[in-house]
Amino acid sequence: MPNIITANLLRTGDVVYFAGLNNWVREIGDATVAKDKDELSELEKTAQRDVESQRVISVYAMDVELVDGRPEPRSVRERIRAALGPSV
Amino acid sequence: MYRYDEFDAAFVRSRTAQFRDQVARRLAGEISEEQFRPLRLHNGLYLQLHAYMLRVAIPYGVLSARQLEQLARIARKHDRGYGHFTTRTNIQFHWARLEETPDVLDLLADVDMHAIQTSGNCIRNTTTDPYAGVAIDEIEDPRVWAEIIRQWSTVHPEFLFLPRKFKIAITGAAEDRAAILYHDIGMRIVKGKGGETGFAIYVGGGQGRTPYVAEELRSFLPKEQLLSYLEAIMRVYNLHGRRDNLYKSRIKVLVKALGIEEFRRQVEEEWSKIDHVSIDLPQEEYDRIAAYFAPLPLVPGPITDAGVEKRRREDASFDSWVRNNVLPHRVAGHVIVNILLKEPGKVPGDATADQMEAVAALARAYGHDEIRVTYQQNLVLPNVALVDLVKVYDGLVAAGVAVGNYELITDIISCPGLDYCNLANARSIPVALEIAKRFADQSVAEDIGRLRLNVSGCINACGHHHSGNIGILGVDKKGTEHYQITLGGSPGDDAEVGTILGPSFPAEAVPDAIETIVATYRAHRREGEVFLATYRRIGQAPFKEALYGAPNSGASSRKQLQEA
Repeated sequence: MPNIITANLLRTGDVVYFAGLNNWVREIGDATVAKDKDELSELEKTAQRDVESQRVISVYAMDVELVDGRPEPRSVRERIRAALGPSV
Repeated sequence: MYRYDEFDAAFVRSRTAQFRDQVARRLAGEISEEQFRPLRLHNGLYLQLHAYMLRVAIPYGVLSARQLEQLARIARKHDRGYGHFTTRTNIQFHWARLEETPDVLDLLADVDMHAIQTSGNCIRNTTTDPYAGVAIDEIEDPRVWAEIIRQWSTVHPEFLFLPRKFKIAITGAAEDRAAILYHDIGMRIVKGKGGETGFAIYVGGGQGRTPYVAEELRSFLPKEQLLSYLEAIMRVYNLHGRRDNLYKSRIKVLVKALGIEEFRRQVEEEWSKIDHVSIDLPQEEYDRIAAYFAPLPLVPGPITDAGVEKRRREDASFDSWVRNNVLPHRVAGHVIVNILLKEPGKVPGDATADQMEAVAALARAYGHDEIRVTYQQNLVLPNVALVDLVKVYDGLVAAGVAVGNYELITDIISCPGLDYCNLANARSIPVALEIAKRFADQSVAEDIGRLRLNVSGCINACGHHHSGNIGILGVDKKGTEHYQITLGGSPGDDAEVGTILGPSFPAEAVPDAIETIVATYRAHRREGEVFLATYRRIGQAPFKEALYGAPNSGASSRKQLQEA
């Protein structure tokens, strides 16, 4: 199952997705996708450097599905989170 | 209203300065998130689904106009223009930014407010009757004791690391409007045999995963001994409360495990060892605090007003609002005005900065500068002269908070749910909004009458679903949001935990299910009988049958509902 990495920015709390070192994006579709375990562990290692530099907190990997090659959230929780605001 | 003394003010300022320094060190990378997390939580700053959330304490739900205006300023300048009033009578800002939080705490300190002890395993905000000091059925003003408890429990060195969070509620009235039996400690001011006032003390109530109604610990405690007795309860809990299992860590589990008699024995034994004199409040200190809550010098007036009566005849909305939201005040010619944050289509408990300012302005002009927050997520102007009622109403209409559905089915308690909360399993707000829409016709809602409908997005029960006459609990069922329905809960003197009716429903089937329940009530009710009374008389069966079909055919009917 494809995965991406998400977090919150330390300073603002904003929900962000990992798109490469020091590059966290608000739009989930722009996140870097790990297609397998090895790719994910590489991605996690790089993302961890941004934790150490105090850029992000609450980092975790999440399942996504690919629609036209772009990642989309699968769970209700992550759909609401990726919408960057409440559903109401 | 209570005003900070020099000690209070200096303490809050020093905590704010400390937190500013802690944030600076965190942003500079000098402390890790792991080290910082408990520090930010001690200052009410959580990380939620979309952002940080700052929970600000509103001690026993009492605000001045100036304080409410400051909350509006914070909402506008440092958040997204609104705040959310909670069932602990606090306010949450859902879009806080860590780097701005020290500034927010400074703004709070400017008006004698803070966010201390709104998180963590400590004694949280003590709640009380929203009509304290003005209710016609009151024995004594509970705010005095709520303030004494606030001072006693704030950074009490012994009780900052309890096994779990701890909630206290107090009422001074005949009718419990503070849900005291759903608290770790509930207190009721009562008259003793000689006419002296004291407390009936209840312990071990609570919602959450294992809901319990509190049991009576002591039928009468002389009021001057309150703090030493509370201290004894806290010590027994602090020592024996479970720290090994989060789900068994509340005092209610300890009380159940020991039994109320043994728990009482231990409390009495501990109490006998305590040096009462060093803990109980000296009379002059009680008098000093009580003076802040002296009754307002209101001039009694006529109990009817020609302007109000005229408007009631001409304006059905006003008439309905008066009928439902306006209650008698202990001083003739005055009323208590409930301001419901339950406008159709609006998130329960949310108020915009404009609305906060409008209510603050009305409080200043016509409400003796006082506002209350209720655990039902509404506001109250407790002191309005009847002659000003029309002006107050027009002000509320202009602010969009003039809906007249107090304690009707559309006066829904709802937690933020999965739209905001990290712990939630399902959304609460959309369900609440959809139900409110179904019953938006005021004449229908009024015909249904008093009915408490509460929604929680997870078993932690911040939306008080256990104590709703109709309770709705969001659950995650294989990745989809489902909702369990409970019936028969009550938060009041007849407190009871609701009973689960049957299998859960998918979100889209919930409004129909609620309509079916309400239709069943209307079909069975006797003249003047409220929902809860009908439910208690006829039991679960008719509701179950209406929802799930006759016994033995339940499965097929339920399937239809799920597929609906």
